Amino acid sequence: MSIRDGDFIDQLRSTENSRIGLYALLLAGIAFYLFPVETAVMTMFKTESAFARTLPFAPPGADGFTLDALATAWNTLRPGLVNSLLMAIPATLVSALLGSMTAYGLTTISWRGQVGVVVLIIAGIFIPYQAVLVPLAQFWFQVLPGLLNGFVNTVFGFITGGNWQYPSRNGYVQLLQLSITHAAYGIPICTLLFRSYYQSISDEMIEAARLDGASAFSIYRNIILPLSLPMFAVTLIYQFTQVYNDLLFALVLVNEPASQVATQRLAALTGGVVQSFNTTMAGAIVAALPTLLVYIMFGEQFAKGVAGE
Amino acid sequence: MAQLTLDKVTKTFQDDDGEIIAVDEVSIDIEDGEFLCVVGPSGCGKSTTLRMIAGLEDITRGEIRLDGQIINDQPPARRNVAMVFQSYALYPHMTVRENMAFGLEESTDMPDDEINERVEKACKDMGIFELIDRKPGELSGGQQQRVALGRAIVRDPEVFLMDEPLANLDAKLKAEMRTELQELQQDLDVSTVYVTHDQTEAMTMSDRIAILNDGVLQQCATPLECYHEPNNLFVAGFIGEPSMNFFPMTLDGSTLTGEWFEYELSDETVAAVEGTTDITLGIRPEDIELVQSDTGPNVFDSTVHVVEPRGNENTAHLQFDESMDDQFIATVGGMKQLNAGQRVKVRFPENAIHLFDTASGQAIRNRTLDEIETVESVV
Repeated sequence: MSIRDGDFIDQLRSTENSRIGLYALLLAGIAFYLFPVETAVMTMFKTESAFARTLPFAPPGADGFTLDALATAWNTLRPGLVNSLLMAIPATLVSALLGSMTAYGLTTISWRGQVGVVVLIIAGIFIPYQAVLVPLAQFWFQVLPGLLNGFVNTVFGFITGGNWQYPSRNGYVQLLQLSITHAAYGIPICTLLFRSYYQSISDEMIEAARLDGASAFSIYRNIILPLSLPMFAVTLIYQFTQVYNDLLFALVLVNEPASQVATQRLAALTGGVVQSFNTTMAGAIVAALPTLLVYIMFGEQFAKGVAGE
Repeated sequence: MAQLTLDKVTKTFQDDDGEIIAVDEVSIDIEDGEFLCVVGPSGCGKSTTLRMIAGLEDITRGEIRLDGQIINDQPPARRNVAMVFQSYALYPHMTVRENMAFGLEESTDMPDDEINERVEKACKDMGIFELIDRKPGELSGGQQQRVALGRAIVRDPEVFLMDEPLANLDAKLKAEMRTELQELQQDLDVSTVYVTHDQTEAMTMSDRIAILNDGVLQQCATPLECYHEPNNLFVAGFIGEPSMNFFPMTLDGSTLTGEWFEYELSDETVAAVEGTTDITLGIRPEDIELVQSDTGPNVFDSTVHVVEPRGNENTAHLQFDESMDDQFIATVGGMKQLNAGQRVKVRFPENAIHLFDTASGQAIRNRTLDEIETVESVV
């Protein structure tokens, strides 16, 4: 032990100044980025009065410690968390899968008019949420029910007798609509991410598979899909964070209280007349948990995907 | 049993400036079990030709027939051809076994155990059985090459197509694989089209060589025919290493006059070149003789510029005139000592010279092959 300690001290003695500078800079960076998080964590364990008395980032004293804020936040957000996951996980998976298939169709298979479709899809990335809010709401509230009623009652009129009604916009339908909206909105960016990745896959390998007798779908299923796992990690993390953090679409599409997603519940939690910083901070931390978990789980794959290995 | 026929196969690409002809009316018959090398400089259309046979490229005009059946519009999988790519194109996420089985799984309804049996047999034949459960990333270049070959063999195709399969190997391994590939092809007796830019590979491996330049077939003949009886200047210059020496000359009576020397032709040769005055004289480096004195006609003085010893032979870069850059190359035996700066006398024997029409490039007279002797078998 003592020998290794000696080695360590020797190492310290011989460390170059530039290296010490680098570590100092990195430590400062860590402190800079983690400082707000640390403040939030400290604040959520403090009572209101303790928060008023102490510095925001100082840990709570024995008398100022409480779990009430966390409990309030957790209880308020819990149904929202479930709703958010119910909505965000399918939306993420669907947009990643469809994005990957679209990208495959636009890179590896060649057909006429491809460029036009690529241009449209790339344009789709830049449509702001605000621009589509009204048409989106009209589509889900009026256009689609009208179309569906007409379609079902015309085609299956002999069963329904022309009396079928689109189900009222209950909670689950609202979540489903939100999920579909996000899935559709995510396809362009996912397509772009996968496309740049597929362009780097060797053409000869695809040709070899064609000579091996594989159909277009079989090539996707057996060659492209297994090779795009790192890229899936990237798109899943990115898309999940986007969908999960969105408040705007949720506000427009979800009005049933029981179906509200985490961001809506968080807004409700913090939007009271009296600001209670400890519950606000607790809410923020609780709401951030799922995205944090996703990063931790897929972090390694994410790094590989970004590095293009 | 398969005979592959290319009948006036043409491929054009559309460009901003109009049409680019990549392959121009190439017609070749590949006999059953024949090993045909397609050679040419880069961009000559050899890979495009191969890809058209494979079905990876559309055919603009002409026909490709396999055993008399036109296969122009057949998808690649239905043509019963297997291709080996320069990059090997192995599937990186699959093991060797899966790589080799993939084609059989996709193109046949063979039961799994039969596929497995065939894959294992092919692996044993290729000497890669102990690697069967590894992934391509864990294999060396040579091993990946074997897997790529094995993947083609296991399909039991009518035709093998190979696109510079040895280009990524180091020189020694390349020479080994060349022999091995040749043996393999003879054992399997499958018609093979092999594309390469390396004329040594083409010379040593093939039954016949097809030489392409700018999309046009220059000559399709056995390696020795291409070497000794080239159709034109391009073939003469492309086949052979170091290349044939060329000298532009003008015919005047029975004398060829060039910038550096005059060459006396025999009556017989003069009769053969009748009617052409602008003539290019070609002679292979090994046919140039070093002589001690002016014995007979066509002996010229020259200076040794650079000598490249190769052990078995010396490649000498010679000059007629030291002040000019008029180099030509002669190869002499490895035991003959030559030094830079030395003056030597060289003889261009008339039976070894090739004469080409300078304007059209066509061969008018090729070397005579009287000296070819057959080695008698020892009883």
